Amino acid sequence: MTVKRLLAAAALCAAVLWVTPAHAQQTAQPAPPAERDPDLNLNALQPDFTISSLPTTLRLPRYKFDFRVTHRFGRPLGQGDFDDLLADFFGLDSSALIGLELRFGFFRGTQGGIYRLNDRTIEFFVEHSVMQESESHPIGLTAYAADDGTNNFTDSYSPALGAIVSRTVGRLGTVYAEPIWVNNTNPLPAEVVDHNSTFMLGLGGRFRVRRTVYVVVEAAPRLAGYDPDTTHWTVGLEKLVGGHMFQINFSNAVGTTISQIARGGTSNDVFLGFNITRKFWR
Amino acid sequence: MFESCYRRSLWIVLLVAFGSLATACDEKLSDLAGPSPNLQPTFASVQRDIFEAADAAGRAACTNCHSDVGGRNPSGGLNLRHDVAYAALIGVASRGKAGAVRVIPGDADNSYVVQKLEGAPGIVGERMPRTGGPYLTEGQMTILKRWIATGANND
Repeated sequence: MTVKRLLAAAALCAAVLWVTPAHAQQTAQPAPPAERDPDLNLNALQPDFTISSLPTTLRLPRYKFDFRVTHRFGRPLGQGDFDDLLADFFGLDSSALIGLELRFGFFRGTQGGIYRLNDRTIEFFVEHSVMQESESHPIGLTAYAADDGTNNFTDSYSPALGAIVSRTVGRLGTVYAEPIWVNNTNPLPAEVVDHNSTFMLGLGGRFRVRRTVYVVVEAAPRLAGYDPDTTHWTVGLEKLVGGHMFQINFSNAVGTTISQIARGGTSNDVFLGFNITRKFWR
Repeated sequence: MFESCYRRSLWIVLLVAFGSLATACDEKLSDLAGPSPNLQPTFASVQRDIFEAADAAGRAACTNCHSDVGGRNPSGGLNLRHDVAYAALIGVASRGKAGAVRVIPGDADNSYVVQKLEGAPGIVGERMPRTGGPYLTEGQMTILKRWIATGANND
């Protein structure tokens, strides 16, 4: 009896030992290597999702996040003499229009996010990559939609629709053209104004001057509709450090949402600002 | 899988774009009009809400003085009684200031009525209403000027 039990146990163990490796072998069969999402790779010619305030065609990898903080200091740099400027530490002592942005890759090629400013403007945006620049496509093309609302998205809404066209320039950088229509840019009711919308052409570029250092320029001339003041422009210098991008910039306005850009900038004043972005997969 | 994902993302973009347009919400004219919340840039509304009515801020009605009701002489010869007001305003020379025209269709800033209501430099006499205020608010003036700028139609 004992021998039979021992034989049975041995047979069972043998069976288990025989079956288990076979089963393990089945599950451990080398799966086909997962295709790495190319959006995860650093694009050295287009390393960020905005130029300074205008969007780019850079794709955000699926299910990944990017965070951006923007500051535009309210003191015009030309105010007073240099001693005044130094006393105010180049405007850093003044109040600033601060923005916090979080964007997320919903699908491959589709990203969206929320951007809130401390003037209580909230902007929602979504971008969809229609075409990526490649050997067969000379340009990158992204569809863009945004809507910002003042007073925590409860008061005045300014929806925007547009396209972002990009083209790399050799190994120098990337240039952009962004036709964008923005509704309700005029702060007055439509009944008392001639134009309540703005059609603008965002133009910009990011140029690589060293391996991780870029010069950025952008401007948004208004082609039609409401166009007070002058064209909004920004120039900046930025440094790529790992998953971070640090940018210091100079602009003729403190606005950073699409509708604020459409409303133009000042003709004489220049403001100091900075952007910091962080990609959460690098 | 990739195809369906792609299609889905495209739909999301379209829906958001549509939603953006759908939420396009303009500023309310009544917010601009302030103490005359029903004021519109039309002559009928200007007549009703500015010329003939006081407003919530306490501004006096223009017809308190500029009317011939009860056999009075309208102040400055400007009669704003509703059935004659339009004819008394459009392209009519002011009696108070030589060369000035009460309402010049399409030119609000040079219309003497606007200058009197704003207290512009160069007016003859007092700013209107002559009660010393309250005066028309900036928003009310914007709406009044819009009526003139768009042709001062008898609408």
